[in-house]
Amino acid sequence: MATNVIMPALGVAQETGKLLQWMKSEGEAVKKGEILMVVETDKTTVEIEADASGILSNVTLGVGQEVPVGQVIALILAPGEAARPRQAALPTGRGEIEATERGKSEPSATGVAASPLARRIAEENNVDLSLVKPAGEKIEKADVLAYLESLKQRSNARLAPASPKARVAAGEHDIDVATIKGSGIEGAVIYGDILSAVAARAPRQAAPPAGRGEAASPTGSADDTETVKVGTIWRIMAERTTQSWTSVPHFYLTREVNAGRLMTWRERAQKRSPAKITYTDLIVRLAAAALLQHPRVNARWQDGAVHLNHDVNIGLAVAIEDGLVVPVIHQAQSLSIVEIAARRAEVVGRAQAGKLKPADIAGGTFTISNLGMYGVDSFNAIVNPPQAAILAVGRIVQRVTPVDDRPAVQHMMTLTLSCDHRAVDGARGAQFLQALAEMIEEPLGLLD
Amino acid sequence: MSTLKEAIAQGKPMRELTMAQAVREALAEEMRRDPTVFVMGEDVAEAGTPFKVLLGLVDEFGTSRVIDTPISEPGFAAIGVGAAMTGMRPVIDIMFGDFLTLTMDQMVNQAAKARYMSGGKFSVPIVFRTTMGATRRSAAQHSQSLHVWPSHVPGLKVVMPCTPYDAKGLLKTAIRDNNPVVYFEDKMNFTTKGMVPDEEYTIPFGVADIKRAGTDITLVATSSMVYVALGAADKLKELGISAEVIDPRTTFPLDKQTMIDSAKKTSRAIVIDEGYERYGVTAELASIIADGAFYYLDAPVKRMGAMDVPIPFSPALEDLTVPTAETVFQMAKMLCGRA
Repeated sequence: MATNVIMPALGVAQETGKLLQWMKSEGEAVKKGEILMVVETDKTTVEIEADASGILSNVTLGVGQEVPVGQVIALILAPGEAARPRQAALPTGRGEIEATERGKSEPSATGVAASPLARRIAEENNVDLSLVKPAGEKIEKADVLAYLESLKQRSNARLAPASPKARVAAGEHDIDVATIKGSGIEGAVIYGDILSAVAARAPRQAAPPAGRGEAASPTGSADDTETVKVGTIWRIMAERTTQSWTSVPHFYLTREVNAGRLMTWRERAQKRSPAKITYTDLIVRLAAAALLQHPRVNARWQDGAVHLNHDVNIGLAVAIEDGLVVPVIHQAQSLSIVEIAARRAEVVGRAQAGKLKPADIAGGTFTISNLGMYGVDSFNAIVNPPQAAILAVGRIVQRVTPVDDRPAVQHMMTLTLSCDHRAVDGARGAQFLQALAEMIEEPLGLLD
Repeated sequence: MSTLKEAIAQGKPMRELTMAQAVREALAEEMRRDPTVFVMGEDVAEAGTPFKVLLGLVDEFGTSRVIDTPISEPGFAAIGVGAAMTGMRPVIDIMFGDFLTLTMDQMVNQAAKARYMSGGKFSVPIVFRTTMGATRRSAAQHSQSLHVWPSHVPGLKVVMPCTPYDAKGLLKTAIRDNNPVVYFEDKMNFTTKGMVPDEEYTIPFGVADIKRAGTDITLVATSSMVYVALGAADKLKELGISAEVIDPRTTFPLDKQTMIDSAKKTSRAIVIDEGYERYGVTAELASIIADGAFYYLDAPVKRMGAMDVPIPFSPALEDLTVPTAETVFQMAKMLCGRA
């Protein structure tokens, strides 16, 4: 019994997923739980494990291609199961493509017909016709042979001389070492060659990996800037913040709160907890309670309507070397402070180690970004779509404030709520912020 | 202060000694400190060894603690093992490392095994002090570097210092160790000068010393090859290649991490050792580096040892059998893609 491999949905509003890498090749044995592929979502890249053991087969999705979530992109054949003859099309989750029998000229998955000879050669060589690009209207023998040749080229990457360090870097940058001229011993590709190739690589969409030797020569005149190459996480961050900033109407509410009670609370909670309790943990706890009272802030704008989320899943903006990631503390409304701290330590640890799981970043309904540890007084955060709001937390610092007409020195903290005006209006945002501020100044009832 | 750099950083008062003086000082201090320590070997007393390392030692401690023996390495090595098993701390002087072959049973089957096989009833706190190194025109039976032999055997510790500072601190540690230690000095380094603190110090085994920090290639070198590597590093610097020179100082216990970390940092490594290259110390160290830093390497880990021949007496030929600053320089250049 074959198991479908589908493009997984890893986020609430995720429409499509892009395949970055197959960790197994067609025809290779796969064990349940092994990493099967690397997928890029709108949030990050994740390694997806195989759901079943067997032989990877009928791979229809190539590296770099993007398909709707739910679509079947490969099969895992049960051990002993014969490789099934290539059917024209695999059923997809969204039923966009329908397989039909049309005698000798049945359509392939791309809807292009193939000649009987091409079909036979494809079957003999275990080639999925849907991956073959025809030169004309129909897939001919020459097309299949050209495809087989390209497969051979691809497997040459394994045989091309390259240093271990270069191979690791090539994998990270999705570069085929066989396409690079090496400058190492015996023409081996070394780390520096990969860096040069990455630097020379035109903007992602512009050139397929085959294109090499771009006009920009490394000895060409350099301008006075230094280019910092960014990883996938940084690129996603850039895309997502741009999308949010250009499509989400933002407004900001700022409020100073007295953090004295919060500090006392943290000290008390710390005494009862073996794990470290941070201010962020306390604010997650309080924000979750305030969000329960103000569900419009725990919502998202989608398809012309405000959708309220039942659970309060609070994302934490975490800076890592590669950029920004937002691991989520799920159902924060039902967690004790110790549980929140434990969960926070766990996911932040994984974030910093670059080992976030899909579940760690999925399903956030509200985000907290705390830059207090960097000495920031206050800042305006960019809303994290599709969420309705994000809370920016500044540092706790002593300020002179009037108390009963007299100056007093108190520990103050500045909160800034950024809202998506389509989901939250000023009054509703302000009410939430007021509720949160009161809880911070008087966290009674939540002291667990 | 396990390295000279640390000692200097701590502002310790120092003076310059030769390596021979540093070794003599270490022996004298330990003999004053512990009456069970004694020296035994050929020509160690009045002659102070052919290398004059022990000159004057007999004057202070007398012939009962600086004992001249007949020319019989098997005999006095065995006496040493027995003395160690019964409470003494002998320092057995094997004039040329080549003669270790005569003491193999005493060293390998007796000293290295006694503690284990007696269930801990006997320990063997013995030091075999001997020499290594070619280019002294001493011909095939007096020029070998056989330190890999004891390095191969569980139960033996192996020390090979190249500076006066390391020689003194490591010899004192060797004498105080309750296990058999084989201690190699390169014959060509006895007159090498270096700073040694006035105050007493010891150096723990298994701590490598980064003799020169660098970023582009790692040169792991032992004993006199450290100077060869430093010479190569000077030449590489002229090409803008920054070489890191690491001296493991002890082949067992071995500081693997320092070598691996360095190779990870530089992506390239050469191991240089004066023992025969085949099945040698270079093979072991290169394998450890290749294993530990595999995914960080941009070039194969290279080995440079003594040529696969009996060491010739002819100076012109002898000089060709061991790595030199020039050959290491050429190899490093090649690995860095600059050949």
